[in-house]
Amino acid sequence: MDLFNNLIFGFSVALSLQNLFYCFVGVLVGTLIGVLPGIGPLGTIAILLPITYSVSPVAAMIMLAGIYYGAQYGGSTSAILVNLPGETSAVVTCIDGYQMAQQGRAGPALAIAAIGSFFAGTVGTLLIALFGPPLADIALKFGAPEYFALMLMGLVAAAVLAEGDMAKSIAMVVMGLLLGIVGTDVNTGAQRFSFGIFELTDGIGFIVVAVGVFAVGEIINNLGDKQERRVLSTKLSSLFPSRQDLRQSWGPILRGTGLGCFFGVLPGTGPAIASFSSYMLEKKLAKDPDRFGKGAIEGVAGPEAANNADAQCKFIPMLTLGLPASGVMALMLGALTIQGIQPGPQVMTQRPELFWGLIASMWIGNLMLVVLNLPLIGLWVKLLQVPYRLLFPAIMAFSAIGIFSVNNSGFEIHLTALFGVLGFMWMRLGFPLAPMLLGFVLGPLMEEYLRRAMLMSGGDPLVFVTRPISAGFIIVTVLILVVMIVPAVRKRRAVIAD
Amino acid sequence: MTIRSLLLKTVAALLALTTVAAAQQYPTKPVRLIIPFPPGGSNDVVGRLIASQLSERLGRQIIVDNRSGAGGVVGTELASQAPKDGYTLLVISIAHAVNPWLYDLKGRYDPLKSFTPIAALASGPNVLVVNPGFAANNVQELIALAKKSPGKVGWASAGVGSFQHLGGALFELQAGVNFLHVPFKGGGPAMIDVVAGHNQVMFSSLVQTTPQIQSGKLRALGVGGLKRSPILPKVPTIAEAGVPGYEATNWWGIVAPAGVPQAVVDRLRKEIAVVQTAPVVLEQFAKEGADVLQMSQADFAAYMASEMAKWEKVVKASGMKAE
Amino acid sequence: MNRNFLESKDFWSGLMLIAIGGGALFIARNYQFGSSLRMGPGYFPTVLGGILVMFGVYFAIAGLRSGAEPLKSTWSLRALIILPLSLVLFGLLIDRAGFVPAMLALIVGSAAASAQFKVVEVALFSVLLTAFCVVVFIWMLGLPYELITGIW
Repeated sequence: MDLFNNLIFGFSVALSLQNLFYCFVGVLVGTLIGVLPGIGPLGTIAILLPITYSVSPVAAMIMLAGIYYGAQYGGSTSAILVNLPGETSAVVTCIDGYQMAQQGRAGPALAIAAIGSFFAGTVGTLLIALFGPPLADIALKFGAPEYFALMLMGLVAAAVLAEGDMAKSIAMVVMGLLLGIVGTDVNTGAQRFSFGIFELTDGIGFIVVAVGVFAVGEIINNLGDKQERRVLSTKLSSLFPSRQDLRQSWGPILRGTGLGCFFGVLPGTGPAIASFSSYMLEKKLAKDPDRFGKGAIEGVAGPEAANNADAQCKFIPMLTLGLPASGVMALMLGALTIQGIQPGPQVMTQRPELFWGLIASMWIGNLMLVVLNLPLIGLWVKLLQVPYRLLFPAIMAFSAIGIFSVNNSGFEIHLTALFGVLGFMWMRLGFPLAPMLLGFVLGPLMEEYLRRAMLMSGGDPLVFVTRPISAGFIIVTVLILVVMIVPAVRKRRAVIAD
Repeated sequence: MTIRSLLLKTVAALLALTTVAAAQQYPTKPVRLIIPFPPGGSNDVVGRLIASQLSERLGRQIIVDNRSGAGGVVGTELASQAPKDGYTLLVISIAHAVNPWLYDLKGRYDPLKSFTPIAALASGPNVLVVNPGFAANNVQELIALAKKSPGKVGWASAGVGSFQHLGGALFELQAGVNFLHVPFKGGGPAMIDVVAGHNQVMFSSLVQTTPQIQSGKLRALGVGGLKRSPILPKVPTIAEAGVPGYEATNWWGIVAPAGVPQAVVDRLRKEIAVVQTAPVVLEQFAKEGADVLQMSQADFAAYMASEMAKWEKVVKASGMKAE
Repeated sequence: MNRNFLESKDFWSGLMLIAIGGGALFIARNYQFGSSLRMGPGYFPTVLGGILVMFGVYFAIAGLRSGAEPLKSTWSLRALIILPLSLVLFGLLIDRAGFVPAMLALIVGSAAASAQFKVVEVALFSVLLTAFCVVVFIWMLGLPYELITGIW
């Protein structure tokens, strides 16, 4: 069997002492930068790129890839422990992961995140090995209309994120959409809401908003409590997930992996969309959706699996077509070029040791990450015993460094402070924050794709229903609307009748 | 410029400058190199490559400082305000010559007067590519098709005011055609759309596009340089293929805040000249599809001014600047 | 009408949404609107701002009528002012004075936002944490910041 032989060959490459070493260094650095907000794989890989000149192409790619998916593991750690999204994709993990930590269940949350990520990473790796090229061809079928229809479906499904007050949730989605507009309009180059401030022309950074409203807002909120706040309000439960936790998690992990692979293959979807989708799906499927937002383990397991599968599958367009799906992938392509390898479909046949070695190393790297992360859980949880009056200044310090490092911009620090105040205000007024972030992620993409689709079709809205993939998404969107609105209207009537 | 003449110039520069004792004291502390673009882009790749080599020559660390925003204006403005002691340098590119026509820089900086040119580093042309299923097999056919249905042929760019946009706008102007401009956020997504066939035409940077051309996912109709590229020897220049006088080349250089001591400039020029022709750098430039660009200080200043004049016309004719 | 509407969550929510949505509408009035088929840069901001204002009016009226949930009173004005200010201070200092002063200012400043502020403990902690960050971020990760401006 060809695949089997290829994989064996890949493992023989990846298991060489040198490559194992670079894989380990990669995932270790990745975990570290993943824990820290702002400092992401993009900046780190750019800094480390010159180091890779002197090593073999295989080792270089193995290390850089390790940084990238390692960061996805680390990102969840700070999200769960202190409500600080270490990476964009970990924002969703903040919602229920942090609540679990508050209830003394940080250990199980971290463990399930690692297990879910490992499972998703394994599936993602297999997917690349088995179906890389055909999947990449499917991805190319997605043009502006298809992406818009997909985003629209996501936005409509977002109403599911509604906690308590539906009107407040929807208002916050709109708020996020509006914030996402700040900056240069892609279609015309016009400046919007940038107030003549040049730092705003590229838009507000996601990490600025996320860290501002989640981390800083939460701290301001906590400091309002009368007695000294402890992160651990109850005694620590077991470090590892109980049998019930695992039973509740395997479904979300499977579904999250599926969603993550789907979004990962599509280069035009931004980060965090996979994990948001998984969260919404789990909440919809749960028998008791009320538990979500209050420490439901499904809300950690699903999104964590989704974001790791997404990260893994983002390699498909890069490896099989030589097309960059994101800035990080463009940088990896650059690394290949510098090594004298022309990226593209021919890499698979001309440099099999690179292609299969990298794939095998991804699985090994995922294994290393689990082995690395599970024992660390005890240590991380101990961190929570630091008195809050010292813990929160440290969170502030790491947040500030991380955000500053993205663009080396003092202005973005000031924006973070502003979003801290806004986040606090929204929390106090009972507005949920997650829908706002979803709107913020989806808004600019939706507008871009919608207007591009209209531009390319010459202003014909039928383009969304005459193309089969796009039409499919539109139909599902309408179905979701019907399913959602009917019970909501009934409920409203019942309330009014009371 | 042949390698031999480069070497000769380098040697001459070396001899002339070893006598300047004052410059030898510089630098006494790390030098900050501002790159006004995020990590990973062409400015970053060129800047970091030069920085790592240059710091070995200078014996002091060169700290790369990415300050992106507003197409490079944010970092450039920051550099213009830095002390003029030679410890803050700035990597510039074609964007430096275009930004004055895209942004209101009044009260911020003057692209020529606020800076002392140090040295040109490298240049790389664009390449005109189409989806392989598209009917045009050469530049002439593309022009004929675009003339037959004005505003219909989809042309993907990396965003309003990007190098990819400029190259296409120059083509529109000189060939007298009108495409349907579809801007994207960055060159990667735009290229994906052309490979997929959602759009047909792109004026991409040669570096990023070579793999797609070689694997047949894109068809190259012409390169934007004055000469054919050694990477794609069979592809004609756009100028010889039907648009005489067409040239769209991205370039990179290093400048310092205006008023830097001449001794510092001379020292930097001397070391950059050595670094530019170091085998490691030459090899990597070749892989990236870039050519070493060496000019006297005055020539570099004149080149910047001529680039500004050239792109002013293109920006104004295309209505690129949004109101 | 509810007399205590000033204490109502809904009332303030409404005001907040009207302010932000109205502000967006006001600024976007100069952007080219286009049409539904040929959307200009002003299309989305105007529509979204309008929706926010509508939500705002809905909440404000709800607050005026019933007042529903009251605002919680336990919050710290001290934290709300000092914490964001310490971040602002960090943003100003890091480019002007360097990494070390900015870190110290941020750590001490944000610690001062808590009512449990202890001078000696915080002084010690800020020095330790700053040293840790210098090692991890500047030396290990190689972030390009001057430790103290002009000196490195």
